[in-house]
Amino acid sequence: MKLFKKFTVTALTAVIAVTASFAGIAAAADTLKGKITINGSTALLPLTLQAAKEFQKLHPKVKIAASGKGSVTGPQAVKKGIADIGACDWDASMDVPGFKAFDGQVANKVAVIPFATIVNKNVGVENLTTEQLAGIFSGKITNWKEVGGSDANIVVITRSFGSGTRVNYQAKALGGGDIVKKEKNYKETGSSGDMKTAVATTPNAIGYIDLVYVSGSDIKAVKHNGVAATTDNVINGSYKIWAYGYYMTKGQPTGATKEFIEYVQSKKFQNGSLKKLKFIPIAAMKG
Amino acid sequence: MGAPVQSLASQSPKKAEHSNINEKRHRRHLLGNRLSRYYFFFSILALCFVLALVIIFIGKTALLLFGDVSPAEFFLSFNWTPEEEAFGAAAFIVNTLTLTALTLLIAVPISVGMAVLCAEIAPKWMKSFIRPVLDLLVGIPSIVYGYLGLTVLLPFLRRISGEGLGDGVLAAALVLALMVLPTICRISDDAILAVPRKFRDAAYALGSTRLQVIMRVVLPAAKRGIISAIILGMTRAVGETMAVVMVIGNTPQLAKSLFTPSSVLTSNIVMQISNVEFDSNWNYALHMMAFLLLLISFVLILVIRVIGRKREDA
Repeated sequence: MKLFKKFTVTALTAVIAVTASFAGIAAAADTLKGKITINGSTALLPLTLQAAKEFQKLHPKVKIAASGKGSVTGPQAVKKGIADIGACDWDASMDVPGFKAFDGQVANKVAVIPFATIVNKNVGVENLTTEQLAGIFSGKITNWKEVGGSDANIVVITRSFGSGTRVNYQAKALGGGDIVKKEKNYKETGSSGDMKTAVATTPNAIGYIDLVYVSGSDIKAVKHNGVAATTDNVINGSYKIWAYGYYMTKGQPTGATKEFIEYVQSKKFQNGSLKKLKFIPIAAMKG
Repeated sequence: MGAPVQSLASQSPKKAEHSNINEKRHRRHLLGNRLSRYYFFFSILALCFVLALVIIFIGKTALLLFGDVSPAEFFLSFNWTPEEEAFGAAAFIVNTLTLTALTLLIAVPISVGMAVLCAEIAPKWMKSFIRPVLDLLVGIPSIVYGYLGLTVLLPFLRRISGEGLGDGVLAAALVLALMVLPTICRISDDAILAVPRKFRDAAYALGSTRLQVIMRVVLPAAKRGIISAIILGMTRAVGETMAVVMVIGNTPQLAKSLFTPSSVLTSNIVMQISNVEFDSNWNYALHMMAFLLLLISFVLILVIRVIGRKREDA
């Protein structure tokens, strides 16, 4: 009995200690100045990490912990109080197809992310229109010859539901069109890296990816409605498949969080490191 | 205990001092023993406590699903369209069973054959080469197998089948078979080695050929060990995620052919769990699928224990 009591006390202490340390991470930002936790989109993670490194040099007493998992985890973590900033590839304070708005959250624009339609190098098609893309991804067009290519079945590769890249691609490149679910030549991948590998190794494959990932000779980006996927075309407004990256916060940001977001939005960072990482400064966009 | 020491002390002071030291040392040992007993006991309890918490947490979250979705829909419907509130997991369950069966169909004959080769036939130098290599293969992370599957196996399957994609249960089964092969082989190998020498001698003495000895005497005698090896391989095949996710196609539909892109319980969980809202039926459904996997492994482990006990009795 004595032993059991001892065990109970120890176990409870352990549980309390663990809970406290988890709660501490979340609570620290509310009470203590100088601790920022960032969670969410993997697409924005390189930008966040670079900004954190520079910001900490300026303010050595601020501690920043950043991790990436998937766009929707950003606003979710903010909602649960796990993170101060939720990085998200869409404005999560508004409804998007498949996801309801996160009430009470403020979307802070931090970057412009361009996306590109990519095909395997064996595909001869150079240009696809919105209708053609919508047809391909909804499963109505299944052969490359229907869009001016050779006689071969189209292999559609897509991201899983909830990916920020998918949300934006569906809205901007497919004109809100559906993506087919149950087909023979259809495959889902879990990350941008998997998407690139899958399109590169599968003949006749089509997919979509952040423009910064487009490199190498196994894949090529196709034009959208006759416009090439380049940062210049995004800035001059002719290439439409891009989206703002957002830092979601619970209400208006305060304290160190506010300072950090302002640093990321500052001219110095936007025109310096952000550009180097192949994102586009938000100031470059007119809309 | 005090009394004899006292009487000794009256006889010879030197001896008494000596036994006093001995007694102290003895007490220290007793204390140490008792403390370590508490420590081990506590470790076991802590482990059970954490495991129970895991099971309770997963189970509790999982069961929330049945507030909105009927168990019949979850287990019997083939329609998994969570964004439209359709949570039929039957396709994943059937695919998981199909994939496991196919994996074992490929892996078992090869690995048991290799085990026989290792234990009965191969010369010593070959054994000392095969065994370490197999042990090494167990240590390769599954994602590496998956990547090889994606970049080497899939293009190969595409070429020989003429399919556009090549993803499906066959690709997954081939990758998994390669992964469980060393496990099944090494444990079967041990089971065969454990068959007493005299069985073989007796069979040879009766004029059996080597093939007859292996097929009629050694394998039946090692049967239980081989079966538990197969089940161990099966638990690995059922729970394996990363390698499968890369080659199965991740489409929630029933695998009607070997090359239909489809999805199993593990791959569907890993693809979706990070993209769903915390308090949604979708999240609960994924937890239910995890709970189901837990139950499957639990049943398989129970089967191993039962077989193991029977072997001890025999």
